Amino acid sequence: MKNNWEPKIVAFLCHWCSYAGADLAGISRIQYPPNIRVIRVPCSGAVNPLYILKALREGADGVLVSGCHPGDCHYLSGNYFARRKFFILHELLQWVGIEKDRVQFSWVSASEGQKFSQVVEETVEKVKKLGPAKKLVKEFTFHV
Amino acid sequence: MFEKEIRRKSEELLETKTVDMVIGYTSGSLPFQARPVLISSPEDTEQLVWNHFSSPNLARYLLPYRDSSKKIALLAKGCDARAVMVLIQEKQFPRERVHIIGLPCPGMISKTKLEKELGEIKEEDFSFEKDTFLWQGKKWEIFPFLEDTCSRCRYPNPPLYDELIGEKREPWGSSSTDYLEKINGQSEEERWQFWEEELSRCIRCYACRNACPLCYCKECFAESDLPRWVSGVPTLSDNLFFHLGRSMHLAGRCVECGACERACPEEIKIGLLPLKVEMIIKNNFSFEAGLSLEEDAPLLTYRETDPGEFIK
Repeated sequence: MKNNWEPKIVAFLCHWCSYAGADLAGISRIQYPPNIRVIRVPCSGAVNPLYILKALREGADGVLVSGCHPGDCHYLSGNYFARRKFFILHELLQWVGIEKDRVQFSWVSASEGQKFSQVVEETVEKVKKLGPAKKLVKEFTFHV
Repeated sequence: MFEKEIRRKSEELLETKTVDMVIGYTSGSLPFQARPVLISSPEDTEQLVWNHFSSPNLARYLLPYRDSSKKIALLAKGCDARAVMVLIQEKQFPRERVHIIGLPCPGMISKTKLEKELGEIKEEDFSFEKDTFLWQGKKWEIFPFLEDTCSRCRYPNPPLYDELIGEKREPWGSSSTDYLEKINGQSEEERWQFWEEELSRCIRCYACRNACPLCYCKECFAESDLPRWVSGVPTLSDNLFFHLGRSMHLAGRCVECGACERACPEEIKIGLLPLKVEMIIKNNFSFEAGLSLEEDAPLLTYRETDPGEFIK
């Protein structure tokens, strides 16, 4: 079981850069691990820290958030605001003892299909090392 | 302890109709306790007390009057005044309608610590002086008996006030970081064990949130139905979700008053989480909440030089 375990990773990709970067990777037939589940968001600045916690709570083994490079945000400054938020969240999660690599961040532009595949590979590799997520995963299911 | 001056001042403010209401402290129903009181007639000002147990953060009690036209005088220790500053800055209360009576804080004493150290105690046996108290003919230092949140206080003097009663004082000297340093130095596994033990005791009564002067959302994410972020069942993972979410919501806003920690029936060191966030912000974005009315909140602004090494 342990040997063929594959992590599930939720990837929040910004519409203008990283999502297009993923698209380019696809069009260019660049291979990358199929462990990510992509959620397209308007901007990395639109990623509420609660989204990340929620993904972990619902059983994701890792979370990747990717947006435009600093200075390239479609909305001019969304990723700068995001960077502050993510920095605080990243430090806080580590401080309560959640593994540093569970939540990862990257900047990938629309022309960086190659970089996107590298980022995913790296992310998957790091999460695989950590093994299945246990902390923060819900112990109780409710029906809405 | 300036109780007389506070009563006289409140009476004067109410009599001259400078304010419509005074928010202060009165004796609680149990010994070694003070509770908030709202006073609107001058003769009731006799009820006001000010001692080492006047710990509730009164800024919390401004919020219901946000949309009224009442002018309110508020007794404010360092942390209360900082909370009022954040509320003013976030446009939750207009500056002109709050009259801040600043009180340099003598440090709030924990009843639990007194009982633990001294056994059975009666309120009338105590007489408090500056930084010490007399009990059974012996002089005791106050510091070991302070609430945890007060012993790490960095701003006992209100940064904003209309008038000040009492003398400004120095902080106790044990810095906030000392408390965090112990946990900072631990390994990931040790930190997790610490928080696992603390947070598995949480019964999610939300007393911390309700005592917090800055948790004023009409609908808290913890109780939102759509989306349902977290279940109401107090499991460890959901407790952690709630407290992490709350700390993120307080990022750059928490004034370290410790109202959450004192409100906790399980005595969880819950104030440490928002405190840690404040320290991250202080060290990396050089900002502290509730010290200035002009400076932008750290999450409403950015610098191009912000730390970004954690991003691939």
